[in-house]
Amino acid sequence: MRINNLVKAILFMSISLLLMSTSCEKDPEPDPIHEPTPYSFVIPKGFPTNFIIPEDNPMTVEGIKLGRYLYYDDRMSGKADEGMPMSCSSCHKQEFAFENGVGKGTGTTGEQTDNVMLPHINLLWNPGAYLWNGSVASIEEDVVGTVYAHNEFASTPEKVVAAISAVDMYPPLFEAAFGTPQITMDRIAKAISQFIRTQISFNSKFDQKQRGEYQYSDAEERGLVLFQTEEGADCFHCHGSVGNPLFTTHLFYNNAKDDNFEGENDRYSVTGNVIDKGAYKATTLRNIELTGPYMHDGRFTTLDQVIDFYSEGLVYSEYAHPLMEKLRPPYGIGAELNPGEKADLKAFLLTLTDYDFIDENNELSNPFK
Amino acid sequence: MMNLLNYKTIILIVLAAILSLASSCEKDPEPDPQPTTGKLQLNFDFYNEADPMEWGIKKYTNAAGNEYNAYYVKFFISRLTIFKDGEATVLNKFHNSHYVGTDVAPSLQWTIADDIEKGGYDSLSFTFGFNDEDNESFMFVNQPEVNMFWPEELGGGYHAMQLDGKWRLSNDSLTGFNFHLGPGQVYNTSGDITGFIDNSFIVSIPSSDFVINEGNTTSLILRMHVDKWFTSPIEYDHNTYGGSIMEIQEAMEKVVMNGWDVFSIVK
Ligand code: HEC
Ligand code: HEC
Repeated sequence: MRINNLVKAILFMSISLLLMSTSCEKDPEPDPIHEPTPYSFVIPKGFPTNFIIPEDNPMTVEGIKLGRYLYYDDRMSGKADEGMPMSCSSCHKQEFAFENGVGKGTGTTGEQTDNVMLPHINLLWNPGAYLWNGSVASIEEDVVGTVYAHNEFASTPEKVVAAISAVDMYPPLFEAAFGTPQITMDRIAKAISQFIRTQISFNSKFDQKQRGEYQYSDAEERGLVLFQTEEGADCFHCHGSVGNPLFTTHLFYNNAKDDNFEGENDRYSVTGNVIDKGAYKATTLRNIELTGPYMHDGRFTTLDQVIDFYSEGLVYSEYAHPLMEKLRPPYGIGAELNPGEKADLKAFLLTLTDYDFIDENNELSNPFK
Repeated sequence: MMNLLNYKTIILIVLAAILSLASSCEKDPEPDPQPTTGKLQLNFDFYNEADPMEWGIKKYTNAAGNEYNAYYVKFFISRLTIFKDGEATVLNKFHNSHYVGTDVAPSLQWTIADDIEKGGYDSLSFTFGFNDEDNESFMFVNQPEVNMFWPEELGGGYHAMQLDGKWRLSNDSLTGFNFHLGPGQVYNTSGDITGFIDNSFIVSIPSSDFVINEGNTTSLILRMHVDKWFTSPIEYDHNTYGGSIMEIQEAMEKVVMNGWDVFSIVK
């Protein structure tokens, strides 16, 4: 009830803002250039009402449409003519919640990425710390990073712009999105980022349960309780809970996988703060069934292995985050779950899968098909 | 997704219609001639004994002799109340609470929304965390507040505090403590939860008189003395309860008892 009202209040406010900004002005001269249509969306029930849309890149219907084409267009690497076509979707595949389902990505030259993939799920709410170590501040910045990265496109903005400009369909799409048909790296990055901000997953069994449309099985319910109780498996302090449906805190922790963290591309390599040694983002557990292998280095291939790790595989070091409390007596190596509890925890994790999100007929799918 | 979009569209249209009817281009009313009110601002800082608290790996020793460090503290205060001639005014009624996280710089400064009548005030007090009536699950949707969620199975609402760090065990290993406060649970003999306990408490700050001047903001420092969580009346020893205490009312009760002198106002 409360949340419903909140969503309504937000809608109400955004509309009032819109009206305020338009209704009291003198009518400007009619603009000859086509103005893109502001994109509006509903914040799913219980989701944050604060989100990040850069001031210089408002979401528009036309911008998102263009971004969707670019995201899926193999000419985006600017190297299709060299026999090295690649797009964001070459690695960020819808069927795996916009991850690749195998682990590390492989770039145009065959070189692999340092870490395994991160999916594109609800990045609209990321507070400005992208990648496993949070080193990138915006999606726009990451698009340009992908173009240059030796293990991704290994290309240049010039090549990308030239390749996209050579396709007849694009100038009108750029004109619709940005007012003029000019194609620049900046506009490409903006359009793709707009599309990524629409990749919102909110229809898992968990969401349906929250909305009263689905009832958890006993195992799923027991798994949820394990997930969010301290004497249970205690996952929620880092990964979110019923009260934090993004299932990430967007914070960085050392989750006790190792005892030596020298030379890692960890959070410490970004902040220089010793408590960040061996720390990585506690990624969202939404769609976790689809996004293995797990951890930044992909060391676990199945969810069972991850659960075994948290149950009896923890490694002591001074850098383990305080919230890895099962490192302590009387536990010492993990939550020590029995087989039934492990099965329950997994049953709960599987309720975070959103099949509508990966439906190949939805508005996030490949538009060329 | 489609269904929701349609639902959205309808709401949008209806609201837009209502709004365009209701809103108009009125001229701003004349500004008030002379304000008789000012604002109050609280700036949070943190001490350990005589010195500013260093968050991270800096070693401290508590009253029970535990060697420890602390990574951060995150907490809520609510029902901030100011007193004048024995009369209490609860501020910030519409938002009711403020979140503080030592890792979120903007949260360390809080300018309270209320316009406060000018004059001298005798003291201030607040509730640490939320009392039972206020501690409603799902009242927050944004981070960092939602990261303080307290599971409904354990009483619901939000943590009053997460003070997280490490202490050294007798076997020399350095291990995490999660000094968390929130609703406590009553367990029966078979270990089932039969009720919940409100662990919020009111902090009345001695010597916290201040003056509000018209048109000005009065700035006070609200200081947390981190060492005092472990000092009196109970010498709190992490070894006694093992560090994670959300489900140990006996330990949380000690936290509540020790909280009485943790805060002071610095003018
Ligand atoms: C060669 C495979 C590959 C391609 C192609 C690729 N990515 Fe990625 N992407 C990755 C990997 C691997 C990561 C995780 C990297 C890390 O954090 O170390 C990632 C992470 C990201 C993230 C951060 C997600 C988060 O949760 O922080 C964004 C945003 C992103 N990619 C956008 C893009 C866009 C936009 C494109 C197309 C322009 C693209 N990627 C193309 C492999 C790829
Ligand atoms: C101290 C914080 C913390 C706690 C507690 C915690 N995790 Fe994690 N979790 C992390 C971090 C950080 C990562 C990423 C680590 C890395 O990539 O090296 C992670 C990774 C994962 C992953 C893999 C994510 C991916 O995309 O590859 C899964 C699954 C997971 N955790 C499940 C759990 C479960 C289940 C629990 C409870 C038993 C739990 N976590 C408890 C911090 C935590």
